[in-house]
Amino acid sequence: MLVFVTVGSTRFDALVEASISEPVLSTLRDSGYDRLIIQRGNSVIESSEEFNGDSCTIQRHGVDIEIWRFKPFIQAECEQADLVISHAGSGTILDVLRLGKSLIVVPNPTLLDNHQEELASALQILGHLKATSIQDLASTIASFEPRDLVPFPPFDGTKFSKLVDEEMGFI
Amino acid sequence: MSSCTTTLVFLFLFFCIRLFLAVFSYTRIRLASANPRPSQTCSIAIFLGSGGHTSEALKLVSALDFDRYSPRTYIVSEGDTFSAQKALALEHIKAADHAFSDDQPQYKLLFIPRARRVHQSLLSTPPDAVRSLLACMRFVSVRPLFTKGAFRQPFVDLLILNGPGTCVILCATIFLNRLIGLPSPRVMYVESFARVKSLSLSGKLLYHFTDRFVVQWPGLVQPGGREIYRGCLV
Repeated sequence: MLVFVTVGSTRFDALVEASISEPVLSTLRDSGYDRLIIQRGNSVIESSEEFNGDSCTIQRHGVDIEIWRFKPFIQAECEQADLVISHAGSGTILDVLRLGKSLIVVPNPTLLDNHQEELASALQILGHLKATSIQDLASTIASFEPRDLVPFPPFDGTKFSKLVDEEMGFI
Repeated sequence: MSSCTTTLVFLFLFFCIRLFLAVFSYTRIRLASANPRPSQTCSIAIFLGSGGHTSEALKLVSALDFDRYSPRTYIVSEGDTFSAQKALALEHIKAADHAFSDDQPQYKLLFIPRARRVHQSLLSTPPDAVRSLLACMRFVSVRPLFTKGAFRQPFVDLLILNGPGTCVILCATIFLNRLIGLPSPRVMYVESFARVKSLSLSGKLLYHFTDRFVVQWPGLVQPGGREIYRGCLV
């Protein structure tokens, strides 16, 4: 099974580092995930220079890992993936949920105006995703039950078009 | 000397009245006759604020009937090729769906200088904001005066804003238009889906200066407030 980790185009070193750390990789392997693709965006991995190129492939703790700076088509990665772990950017969250994928988000605590946290917890309360922190990432993966998630409603353009039609006097 | 003072007093009074009317106009529905549309179409402009803002704004636009809401003007910050490309991509998808009949272009891109770059120091912001304001005024206030049917038609019928920074400048220009009595578009602000419990800075600044203020989370609706909530729109 495949896990896809993305931080979009932002920089979130801690999430990328955590996803290749021993506890997370062991948990992933124990949960049946044997492949991991990471889009690190502008994050920097300090533990090894070779990870900071455009792409590299390694094997660690029984998991095949691909690390990319930017994947050209992350939609394809998301579609293949059985689980997506991402930063809590609203764009990424919407894209992943609309694809019907299981999603664990880790809000970036270093952001100054941290409304990522709000969005993540609001969506967790509605049951659409699981929000966690860097420290709890491994345990969250271990106890994660994709079947408990509530499917996110598909895009409904009629709500906005009706609003605009009302505003401009068409309705 | 006294006539000069009288003129100034009159000018001052005139602006006070305009100010009152402009602010007041946001709280009531404008009369349909104030802005007659030639046909069943409605021109719109959408500000694409970069990154997530652009994605949301284009998602909103994609929901609209392109035959009715035409032509479309995409307002993009200078140098923001990502947003420009995304807008073109949306138009291509829609054109493939619809096969528009007439040869006239249904959309255009408008580039304006950025009011403030990310991490820009506060000291250097004012000159850039002024540059941005002047560019907006050219498109919103000055250019419509030199087109056919001047003084009757605003630069577009509806302006859709989703943040950030530069959209405040754009809205300020619209407000100036209303102050001096030039035609102005309806302004609709849609707060980002990322905002769950508190409004963004742009949202707070524009709260009283838009005709429609739309939020996407129920927690942002205040009792007696002007927010409209219809669920997640993007």
